[in-house]
Amino acid sequence: MTSPASRRPAETRTDDKLEQSLYAKREKIYPRQVHGLYARLRLAGVLGLLGIFYFTPWLRWEGHQAVLLDLPARKFHIFGLTLWPQDFIYLVFLLIIAGLALFFFTALAGRIWCGYACPQTVWTDVFLWMERKVEGDRMKQQKLDAMPMSAGKLRIKATKHALWILFSIWTGFTFVGYFTPITELGARLVQFNLGPWESFWVVFYGFATYGNAGYMREQVCKYMCPYARFQSAMFDKDTLIISYLPERGEPRGSRKRGADPRALELGDCIDCTLCVQVCPTGIDIRNGLQYECIACSACIDACDDVMDKMGYEKGLIKYTTEHEMTGGKTHILRPRMVVYAVLLLVVMGIFAYSLGTRTSLGLDVIRDRNRLFRETDQGLIENVYTLKILNMDKDTHRYNLSVAGIPGLELHTDMSEIKVMAGDIMELPVRLRADEAELTARSSKIVFELIAADHPELAVREEARFLGPR
Amino acid sequence: MQDGLPDISRRIPRLQKCIAILWPSFLTAIVATGLFFSAFDPDDLFPFGADLEISRLGIYTIGFFLFWLVTAVAGIGTLYFAITNCIRQGLNKPVD
Repeated sequence: MTSPASRRPAETRTDDKLEQSLYAKREKIYPRQVHGLYARLRLAGVLGLLGIFYFTPWLRWEGHQAVLLDLPARKFHIFGLTLWPQDFIYLVFLLIIAGLALFFFTALAGRIWCGYACPQTVWTDVFLWMERKVEGDRMKQQKLDAMPMSAGKLRIKATKHALWILFSIWTGFTFVGYFTPITELGARLVQFNLGPWESFWVVFYGFATYGNAGYMREQVCKYMCPYARFQSAMFDKDTLIISYLPERGEPRGSRKRGADPRALELGDCIDCTLCVQVCPTGIDIRNGLQYECIACSACIDACDDVMDKMGYEKGLIKYTTEHEMTGGKTHILRPRMVVYAVLLLVVMGIFAYSLGTRTSLGLDVIRDRNRLFRETDQGLIENVYTLKILNMDKDTHRYNLSVAGIPGLELHTDMSEIKVMAGDIMELPVRLRADEAELTARSSKIVFELIAADHPELAVREEARFLGPR
Repeated sequence: MQDGLPDISRRIPRLQKCIAILWPSFLTAIVATGLFFSAFDPDDLFPFGADLEISRLGIYTIGFFLFWLVTAVAGIGTLYFAITNCIRQGLNKPVD
C-alpha cells in the first residue's frame, strides 16, 4: 500500500508512547503565531466562512428570513425556494455532491479542506486568536500555565474564558437562528425569554464550540475525525502535499548567519524548530508525511521566513507532489480525477434538473387506521382515507381530484371544492366505494390524481391500496 | 466493565472509550433524526401531543436524544465485543 499514512517513517513512532495517554493527559500544544502568504490565505478563509455563518441568518428575502430551516413549521426557506419534508431527496443529493466534491478536491489538492475550511480549524483559529490577545504569545502562554495560581493568573484565565463563552453563546444563538426566525429569537434573548428547547440548543451548540475549539482542538482531527482516517485512500503520487525536502535540508544543523553550509557539510535546514513550534497538531514535518498533518501550511510560512533571513532560496518546506519530489512531473489530468469530476458533474446536473422541474404540489394518502373497510347500506365496500394536499406554489389553486384502478370506483368527499392557499396543507377526508364483485384481491392498487384546475401542468399522482373482504 | 477485563481494556483510556461510543453514535443519531422526522410529522405520530404541550422542536430534541441513546447502546455493544474477543483470542498481552 502506498497511502501516506503507511509511509510514515519509523522515527515518528517515538511519539506513540505519549499518545498512549490519549485525550486526557496530552501535552498541550501552543502553536506559535505565523505570518506569510498562506497565513493570509487562511485568515481570508476564516473570515469569509465565519462571515457567511454569522451573517446568513440575518439576510432578508421578500419580507422573510432568506435562509430559514423552519423545523417547527416543517418548511425550509432558502431564498425564493420553499422545501418541504417531501423534498428530503434534495438534501440527500446535496450530501452526495458534498461527498464527491470532497473526494475530488482531496485527490487534487490533498487536505485543503482540513487546513482552510473545516469548521474545527476555523473555530480553533478564532479561539487561538482570542487566547493570544488575552494571554500573549506562545512563550507567555507557556509561562502562564507553568505559574502557580495567583490573582493575576486567575484574572487572565477568567477573561479568556469569558471571551470564549460569550463567543460560544453567540455561535449557539446563530445556529438556532437558522431554525427559528432569528430576529424574534434575538428579541426574546435580550428579554431573557427564550423557549426551553431553544435555550437548550443554544447552550448545547455553544458548549460544543467551546469544548471543540477551546480544548479538544487538534485531538478532534487526530482521534475523532473520520475524514482524517480515510483521506489517504484518495491520495496518489500527483496529489498536492506539504513536504520538507530532506535532500536539500539534511544534514540539518545550526550555524552562524553567513556561514557557508557546504563548508560545514550541512544542508539548508538550520534546525530552528520553528516549523514544529507553529504546527497546530504538534508534529515535525521533517519526519515525513504524517496523518496528523492537516495541511494548514503554517510550517511553509515559518520556514520561508527563515530561509529569507538566511539568504537561502524559499521552499525547503513547500506544496509539492510525490512525483515532483522524485524528479518527475505532476499530472493533474489522470483517470481518478476524470472519474470524480464526471461523477460530480452528473450528480450536480441531476440535482439542478430535478430542482428546476420540481412540481410544487404534493399529495399524501393516509389510510384510516381504525377500520380496514366497511360495507355500506347499498352493499358496497367502503375505504376511508385522509388526503394531505400540499400547495408548495406561490399562488392559491383549485384542484380536481380523481381516482382510478377499480372499475366503477366511486369517490366521495364532503367538500364542494378543493382550494388550497399558497404554502398551505389541506387535509381532505375521502371515501371510496367499490362493488365487491369488481375486487379481484384482498388489496387492490388504486391511483389518486390531483390536477390544478387553472394549471394542468401542476399535477401529481399517488398510489394507495383499497382493501376488501376477498 | 473496567475491573472485570484484564489489560487490553485498561490500556484504552476511559475517555477514549467514551468518545469512541458517543461520537459515532452522535453522528448517526443526527442522520436518523433527519430521516425519521422528514418522513413522520410529530403531530401525526402523537395525536395527543397537544395535551402533552411539547412543541415540535421539543419532540425533535427528545427524538434526537432517543436515537443517540439507541446508537450509543449499539456502540457500547460493539466496543464490548471487540474487547472481549481480543481477550478470548489472547490479543490482550502486552505488545512489547
